[in-house]
Amino acid sequence: MNKADVLIIGSGASGAAAAWSLSRNTSNRIVCLEQGDATKAGDYPTNKVNWELARHGTASSNPNERKNKADYPIDDNGSPISLANFNGFGGSTILYSGHFPRFHPSDFATCSLDGVGDDWPLCYEDLEPYFNENEKMMGVAGLVGDPAYPEYDRLLPPVPLGKAGRKMAETFNELGWHWWPSYSAINTSSHGGRASCVNLGPCNTGCAQGAKGSVDVTYWPQALRQGVEVRTGCCVYEICVDKFHKITGVKYLNEKGEDCFIGASIVVVACSGIGTPRLLLNSKSAAFPDGLLNNHDLVGRNLMVHPLGYTEGVFEDDLQSSVGPQGCCILSQQFYESDPANKFKRGYTMQVLRGSPAMETAVSAYMMRRLPLGPDHHKTFMSLFNHNMGIAVISEDLPEHHNRVELDEQNCDANGMPGLKVSYRVSENTQEMLKHGLEKSKLLFQQAGARVTASFAPVKHAGWHLMGTARMGNDPEKSVVSPLGQAHAVENLFIVDSSIFVTSGAVNPVATAQALTLRICDHIRQKFVN
Amino acid sequence: MKLKDIFYDTILPGDQDLNLPAASRLEIDDYMASVGATEMLARYLDLLDTLAHEKFNHGFVDLSAEDRLACVTFSKRKDIRLSTAIIVNCLKSYYTCESVLNILPTGSVPPFPEGNVVEGDDWSILEDVYERGTIYRHIPE
Repeated sequence: MNKADVLIIGSGASGAAAAWSLSRNTSNRIVCLEQGDATKAGDYPTNKVNWELARHGTASSNPNERKNKADYPIDDNGSPISLANFNGFGGSTILYSGHFPRFHPSDFATCSLDGVGDDWPLCYEDLEPYFNENEKMMGVAGLVGDPAYPEYDRLLPPVPLGKAGRKMAETFNELGWHWWPSYSAINTSSHGGRASCVNLGPCNTGCAQGAKGSVDVTYWPQALRQGVEVRTGCCVYEICVDKFHKITGVKYLNEKGEDCFIGASIVVVACSGIGTPRLLLNSKSAAFPDGLLNNHDLVGRNLMVHPLGYTEGVFEDDLQSSVGPQGCCILSQQFYESDPANKFKRGYTMQVLRGSPAMETAVSAYMMRRLPLGPDHHKTFMSLFNHNMGIAVISEDLPEHHNRVELDEQNCDANGMPGLKVSYRVSENTQEMLKHGLEKSKLLFQQAGARVTASFAPVKHAGWHLMGTARMGNDPEKSVVSPLGQAHAVENLFIVDSSIFVTSGAVNPVATAQALTLRICDHIRQKFVN
Repeated sequence: MKLKDIFYDTILPGDQDLNLPAASRLEIDDYMASVGATEMLARYLDLLDTLAHEKFNHGFVDLSAEDRLACVTFSKRKDIRLSTAIIVNCLKSYYTCESVLNILPTGSVPPFPEGNVVEGDDWSILEDVYERGTIYRHIPE
């Protein structure tokens, strides 16, 4: 039988949540096609001493550097920010840091509140039960009671701050600024059959311990038990639509490179904020000559990437700052909401990062002319390593029509499918926001008694958060999918990943993307699958 | 000692106080070969030797430690891309070497048999944050 009741394309954060949700209490045949391979914990770089080297090789977040078979080229010459991702079973959650905050209520109404961006066709309360469900599935650590959010249901105990985190927390208190222990998809106690984090540090080359909540160890084991069939190494290159604007199935190349077709009653696309528009734009037909669902020139547009500012501070004391999950320590949302005193609308999160590991400390300090060669090298290195902390400013990126990804016919992947070309500019609003964020970060370090050793924006290799390229809305002329992820123009096609975001918020998007996925899949289950 | 080893030790000498080994004692050559930088390294060593003759009328190996380091600095001005690539690769090799990592205060070293202990927190430190009250915006119906 070569037909699925539900076909999911992509096995990352949203694809996995969709597979789990749609396979509950059903005998329907659900198939997931993933273009990458499955990773094995035993193969993660952190099993070896030289794991840091993999950050520029097999575990690089830059597909142009990684060059796995499943990767497609991305021409980012038209953008100050390079796009990052991971194409494999579990998607980018394999390499993410696990920083897992939710969007805020105001993020869904930026136009009404602040006159910028657009309002979402749903609100925080619509997603709240799905946030709770998702956090339970992913295993999210943190602390309830954060005054920057409506009440959380429950969380695992927070990731420990460590000496360096406590120093930063005390400084936030001195300045009277908000801070909170990070929301982290990291097991701080046994949860979901997975062990607890043992504070190794390098979460973003894959967690060999299995404590980080990447979806290969959270949603997928349950979805597979519920009967979902996953085919890895399968690169979908066209979603096929008939003359009645109905999806019939998809064409793909399997792991042997054979051309295949699988029929589907419903197709759920979850290929990320850039993979989804790439597939849609490549799916040209008589009904959609400019690409599937692109009848209003919206697919690939309104790309949002969260331009990042970065400041590093070095403390006099050894704070053992490199120990513990690097990306998950403290976040501050003191400057999250619009403030009339600022030259920009909306705001940003300050994400406090633990110190860098040894090789990164040495290389980046050398490149910034802070680490000499020769007889003074080692003593200077020891004054930096375990003494440094970083602050990432995650700025809210507003949707702009000209920021986009397009197919790049000149640069194709290993299967001959076009790669992507990025055209992206950092807006004036965001530039002001980043400037403000860097100033506040420097102030924080200075108050803490640390020496500021670097401060810049935008960070080039930081385009992890990819959103907005197939936005949702009520108006079919101004959006690609409905508030329930259903394509306006094709009844049996759903998009569930962050490409349907209307605005970007100023936090890591995965918690919101997965909550959205669960909400959409509830709808699909009720209306279609059962 | 060979020119190559002298270069390694010029930029990353041993440190007795910290018990850190000189770079020439490590497997930097193997690393260079693994990243395809052997030929580039040879070109760089030629450049260093040429600069040593130009600036000091001696080969690189015959210079004092101070003058060798000066040659490394001159090499950056002469060919920044080449010198940066070689030096960064030396740093990468040095700081991913097990014998170095075992001396540095890195905590547990892969394959991470035990992990690291980070002491628990006293969350009364959040009292100030609580006291300032809610900061998120309520959305009007």
